[in-house]
Amino acid sequence: MKNFIKKTMHYLRAIWAENMKEWRIELTYKADFIRGMIDPLVYAMPYLLYGIALVGGRTSQTLNNLVGTDDLITFVTLGYIFVGFLNMALWAMGFSLRKEQYWGTLESVFASPVPRWVFALGMALHSTLHQGLMIFLQIIVINLIFKLTISPSGILPSLVVVGLMLIALYGFGMMIASLTLILKQGWLVSEALSGIMMIITPIAYPLAVLPVFLKKAAMFLPTTYGVMTVRHFLIGEQMSFSVGTAFIRLTVLGIFWVGVGVLIFELIDRKTRRTGTIGHY
Amino acid sequence: MNLKNNLTVIWAEFKKSVKIWISYPIMLVFWAIAPFMWVLPFIFQGKALVGGLSSNAFKELTGSPHYLPFVLIGAMVSTYIFSGLWGVGNSLREETYWGTLEYIIVSPTNPIVVLLGKTLAEFVYATVNVTMQAIIATIFLGLNLTISKILPVLLIVLLLVIGFYGFAIAFAGFTLLIKEAHGWVHTLEWVFYLFSPIRYPVEISPLTKTLSALIPLTYALVAIRAIILLNKNVLHLQQTILILMIMDIFLLIIGYFTFRYLERKTKQAGTLAQY
Repeated sequence: MKNFIKKTMHYLRAIWAENMKEWRIELTYKADFIRGMIDPLVYAMPYLLYGIALVGGRTSQTLNNLVGTDDLITFVTLGYIFVGFLNMALWAMGFSLRKEQYWGTLESVFASPVPRWVFALGMALHSTLHQGLMIFLQIIVINLIFKLTISPSGILPSLVVVGLMLIALYGFGMMIASLTLILKQGWLVSEALSGIMMIITPIAYPLAVLPVFLKKAAMFLPTTYGVMTVRHFLIGEQMSFSVGTAFIRLTVLGIFWVGVGVLIFELIDRKTRRTGTIGHY
Repeated sequence: MNLKNNLTVIWAEFKKSVKIWISYPIMLVFWAIAPFMWVLPFIFQGKALVGGLSSNAFKELTGSPHYLPFVLIGAMVSTYIFSGLWGVGNSLREETYWGTLEYIIVSPTNPIVVLLGKTLAEFVYATVNVTMQAIIATIFLGLNLTISKILPVLLIVLLLVIGFYGFAIAFAGFTLLIKEAHGWVHTLEWVFYLFSPIRYPVEISPLTKTLSALIPLTYALVAIRAIILLNKNVLHLQQTILILMIMDIFLLIIGYFTFRYLERKTKQAGTLAQY
């Protein structure tokens, strides 16, 4: 027992150290850090302004018929928050190993006396905190400009949904991160996956407007359940599945994606060490 | 160096860029398709908000009720801007990564001539991408592009890119000085997405409308959409063409002198080889 506690503490320290290292590096480039914070806000604005241009205001009767809420600004803003989570998995976590390669520190990190998953958890912790801060700022600014209307009682269950969804995204991020070890210039994979997931996830529109095959594909993504259930709690979006179903499916997807992520991470890690290509640029 | 030598350098730089592209054929396919992936969410959003492919509110702002061709044209024309920004503006930074920047700068060639080669290559690359996008948009998304519209559109595109490449050359000089310009390129992307009508009509807000007037892309997009969507004759767009020409002259001159100044400053500071 004593040994277990000691080991756990040792791992927790490593996770924290990995998180702090990332913060230190990011805060060294202050201008870039500030720009990164404003990023999601600027990318969300065209969606909001485009929506207003289409309907001539902030309410849409068609949207109301589809999901039971007519406020397009709140609908799109809540949806756009999930782009941040997608970016976290695809870019922040997905590129963490590649970044270590750029800095020439990947071999040192991998040679340290902790399992690889500890390193992965460290980068997941940092990505979550960073993304959380960005999303917080995004909501504050958009709320100041457009005055969002949400149900405060839905905030707590929404956080639980986001937590469940994040578990699945961590698995996804681990898979992408390990893929960059064999693909090297893996940004193309992230860019392509990001484009596809941005289309399939009902961010700025409800699932109902997607073609049938895309609707079916959306059912395999944790972000679909995340965004719809959160909007259900906060603005009363009508869903084609119950809240209970959403929780069950998110749990299953979490187990599935973490399993896939860890498996692929382990396989690629072993392969790159055996073939001696881990240090290849 | 005389004109013939300069043309040889431009051609060599062009061939080098083409060889690099050919090494990554998947990139060409990717960039032909990627802008559509960015456009699709806007199409689905439109369907969710107005129930069809046209909107009266949109017509009041743009003159055309059809939002689908609006966003398609925005995506295609902006390909030139973003390829120029990354391919020309960030090109000297790439030479740093490859370890070849010092050779270029110390060679008896004017770096501006090398940048002209890169600019020409980037223009051809963007044109190949946009042509593939236009074919896909015409066949699968019903964009109405006829030969009579293509020629005036090409004229506007040329006027847009001439000035923009002037700006990109100045930006290339900026990367010599500050080195890691990745974040700055993203910042410029924001400016274009938010303050020019790539994805939405800027007339929606007085602030975006006023700021968009400072960006050449705004004039080009308005003119191209007028030709394609409103069937306007290019002769009716004289004022827009004049504005673009004035901006071109201004940006080319500013671009040239800014680059020379920043190149000199970097050499004097002795930081050219720094990473």
